[in-house]
Amino acid sequence: MSAAAPAVRAVNLVKIYQTGGLPVPAVRGVDLTVEAGEFVAIMGPSGSGKSTLVHMLGGLDTRTSGEIWIEGTRADTLSESGWALLRRRNIGFVFQFFNLVDNMTVADNVELPALLGGSAPRHARERREYLLGELGLTGKADAAPAQLSGGEQQRVALARALANHPRVLLADEPTGNLDSRNTRDVLRLLGEVHRQGQTIVLVTHDARVAGLADRVVTLLDGQIVDDGAVGLPRRRTKGGPGDVVELRG
Amino acid sequence: MNAAEVRWLRADLRARRAQALLTVLAVAGIVTALITAATLLEDGTNPWRGLFARGNGAHVWIHTKDTPDPAVLRGLDGVTDIAGPYRSAPATLVLDGKKIPVTLREMSATLPAVGRPLVREGAWLDPRVPSGVVVERSYARTLGLRAGTAFTVIGLNGATHALKVAGLAESGDQGFYPEWTPGLAWTLAGTLDQIEPKLGRSESVTGLRLADSGDTSLVVQRAITTLGGQVQRVSTWREVEQSMELDNRLLGVLLALFGAAGLVAAVLAIANATGGRVLTQRRDIATLKSLGFTRRQVVRMLVIEHGSLGLAGIVVGVLCGRLITVYALAETVVVPLSSLPLLAIALGTAAVVLVAVWLPAWRGGRTPPLPAVPAPPRGHLSRVARLAFLVRLPPALVLGARDAFTRRLPAFLTAFGLAIPMMMITIGLGYWATLDDFRSHPEQVGQAAALTVRPASLTSEEAQRLALADPDVVAAFPGAEVDALVPGQTRTVRARAYGTVSDPYPFTVVDGRLFRDRGEAVAGQGLLDLLHVSVGDRVRLTIGGTPLIVRIVGRVLEPEQDGEVLSVPLDALAPKDALPPQYYGLVLREGADAGAVRSRLQGEGLEVSQVVNPADRLAVIRVIIVGLVVVLALIGLANLLTASAVGLRDHAQDLAVLKAMGLTPRQVAATLVTGTGLLVVLGVAAGAGAGALVSAGLIDLQGAASGMGAGIGRAPGPATLLLAMATAVGAALLVALIPARRAARARVPVAPR
Repeated sequence: MSAAAPAVRAVNLVKIYQTGGLPVPAVRGVDLTVEAGEFVAIMGPSGSGKSTLVHMLGGLDTRTSGEIWIEGTRADTLSESGWALLRRRNIGFVFQFFNLVDNMTVADNVELPALLGGSAPRHARERREYLLGELGLTGKADAAPAQLSGGEQQRVALARALANHPRVLLADEPTGNLDSRNTRDVLRLLGEVHRQGQTIVLVTHDARVAGLADRVVTLLDGQIVDDGAVGLPRRRTKGGPGDVVELRG
Repeated sequence: MNAAEVRWLRADLRARRAQALLTVLAVAGIVTALITAATLLEDGTNPWRGLFARGNGAHVWIHTKDTPDPAVLRGLDGVTDIAGPYRSAPATLVLDGKKIPVTLREMSATLPAVGRPLVREGAWLDPRVPSGVVVERSYARTLGLRAGTAFTVIGLNGATHALKVAGLAESGDQGFYPEWTPGLAWTLAGTLDQIEPKLGRSESVTGLRLADSGDTSLVVQRAITTLGGQVQRVSTWREVEQSMELDNRLLGVLLALFGAAGLVAAVLAIANATGGRVLTQRRDIATLKSLGFTRRQVVRMLVIEHGSLGLAGIVVGVLCGRLITVYALAETVVVPLSSLPLLAIALGTAAVVLVAVWLPAWRGGRTPPLPAVPAPPRGHLSRVARLAFLVRLPPALVLGARDAFTRRLPAFLTAFGLAIPMMMITIGLGYWATLDDFRSHPEQVGQAAALTVRPASLTSEEAQRLALADPDVVAAFPGAEVDALVPGQTRTVRARAYGTVSDPYPFTVVDGRLFRDRGEAVAGQGLLDLLHVSVGDRVRLTIGGTPLIVRIVGRVLEPEQDGEVLSVPLDALAPKDALPPQYYGLVLREGADAGAVRSRLQGEGLEVSQVVNPADRLAVIRVIIVGLVVVLALIGLANLLTASAVGLRDHAQDLAVLKAMGLTPRQVAATLVTGTGLLVVLGVAAGAGAGALVSAGLIDLQGAASGMGAGIGRAPGPATLLLAMATAVGAALLVALIPARRAARARVPVAPR
């Protein structure tokens, strides 16, 4: 694992679903490289294959052909449990529907990945306390997920995804199920995490959300049709037409 | 196990406490039943073995008219030692005005080497206290005698003697009182001589200890040949052992049957519960996998979670089984179940439970890590639903009928999982009905006579006249009971002469017909089994030295002596055995109070005893049935909860659609309840039907095995059965209604969670 290796690299990635015996291509030969510390938004209309792509990058879905490299290591040839181990250490997931474990408290949900990764319970608790504190959820530690609002649940999901200091944070429509106020909160948090150096791959069909990213990849019918940096001036100021669009606030 | 797995396990168990408790209780109940059954079947409750070994018992006891030559018996091939000969005489024990027959047997103050009674309370005979006797413990317990109790004994000559209980002893020489009558008391030779001075009215008892218990029949034949016509009665260790075990054996078989069927039901319930839980948890499992749980970890967590509930149930069951054998069966000397069958039950149940849990857990492990929206089951309109459509049933019923069968396998498992407990409950009700029938129609189980009177000091004609004079007495049948020797048999059988050819006692004839001639007889199943004969065969026997050949023309239900009774008309016996009749069996007017008649007749100076109904001896079965019904109901409940949880999960998506279509919350609830209720009705009906079909046959099988004979079995009455089914279905619908109402009223999320 060299330092120069990209966080995520996909080479000619293809996914073909078999629906009723008919091959339905969802992703058709995607080449994508995400450098460490980069915030990439994947955009595209419904059915363009963006969710499938990010699921494949996290090993939740199997690829039909092509290569996936995570941190310079080939991952597409891993077994299911190999992927599971890789996800534990290197990948955090945030989903559209939060996917918190209902039976567990907020604290347990957030500590779960750390414990799974082998942290001592005390360390897991400290990390959880830190994360919940950062996300403004300290008071909710003992609540059940069902008692929280959608935005709060998504913040808990974000805390859970970050519990193990993952190299890559994969977010699949994290704001797709939230109102604008909660969307703003979650995006602010994502931005802060990114500022601390977190690599993020975010799937969205919302241009405002994508506008937060360093780079927007647009997918159509399973192929990349556009891949370009968004020149937001906030961090790596380059200047240019991107400056016109300032949506946050 | 990883800390994360433990954390998830704890949280999930906490979230489903009631269901978990139900699983533990169901398994515990079944294991308890199995252990109790095994204890009963293993003869752990049969004290004979211990008594025989510790008392160095005699295998064979020979009752002769005169004292045999001990040297001759000792010299018989196969005999290692003998006990006695002891003089033994019948007498009547008087206690609180009651007169109870007793056998007094002489014995020395020093305990013999063979056939040694085991003193349990007080002391053995002491030559310095000639009035002290040692009473057999079961007899003493029934009568309420304790060491130190004073009582009187009336000899056959009518003289009274004051005696005192020196001690209580147990013995493997004869069965327990009252199964084995008369009771036994040991006295010093001098005391016995005083009570019964006439040698002619007593008999001589000699015990033979054999080198090999397998040679029993051979040695008995030799002894009978050697002693010639002297032998009056022979009893062997087999009868004693059998007399001590029989009731328990019947109970053991019953419990084992229920336990085994219950185990199948419980395992099905656990498999259903695990499967249902995994199905409803697919999303959570997928989430766990997306967090980095491996397939093996998921399977391990599920197996541990659900398996540990089963194992906890096994541990509780083993403890309960031990407690029950110690406390509930305290009457008998229980040897706890030996470790091999105990281990077999515990490990066998554990293995079955783990397999039942592992299969759904394995399926759970295969859940893809992508937390997808749960796919609704591939639905198709079942035939039932199509039918419901055709006859224009309300929409809720049609939709419910569709829902019930969308998943074929779970639907079948649910119905089956309810059918088995229901079948066992129905069989239990059959036992109940059989016992009720024993009580309400004793004449149908061979107990037409509710009372027997013995003339006591009166002549038998007077006794008959007095008895018939009572307004409640319909008929009085003369009877006599004699011991009959059957050639080729090692033991005597009971021959009962009851009624006459022209006026026979109303036996309950199940096969063949009642005797119509002197040379004919009817017998109980036990006797047919013992002699290996069937209805229509001829039997040769010797009664009091007189040979008699009878043809068995019918099989009767015989509740006494394990059915090992041959019944002949009184005229068939030689006059010396038959006249005067020993007793009269009184058939009472229907609805008459036997107790009242009894006290009236007792006032006339007659000796009256009430016939013991077999239902009284088997009363404990009712307790067992109630206990098992509770366990089985728990199992059914567990299945039901699973079915309704899975049904809700499958149709959570539909609810929004249904409501959008304009169904009221009540209709939505009705749809959900119909979905589960249809399966419940199917399962309950199938189970009750199967149970009603097999229960009478099953009880008959057990009746035949116990010697009483097939023909006793009753299926539960239609009213009882309908009530049981209605209760089961009603309770099930109520249980299904609660979550259905909650789901119907809840605001339906359009998006999943």
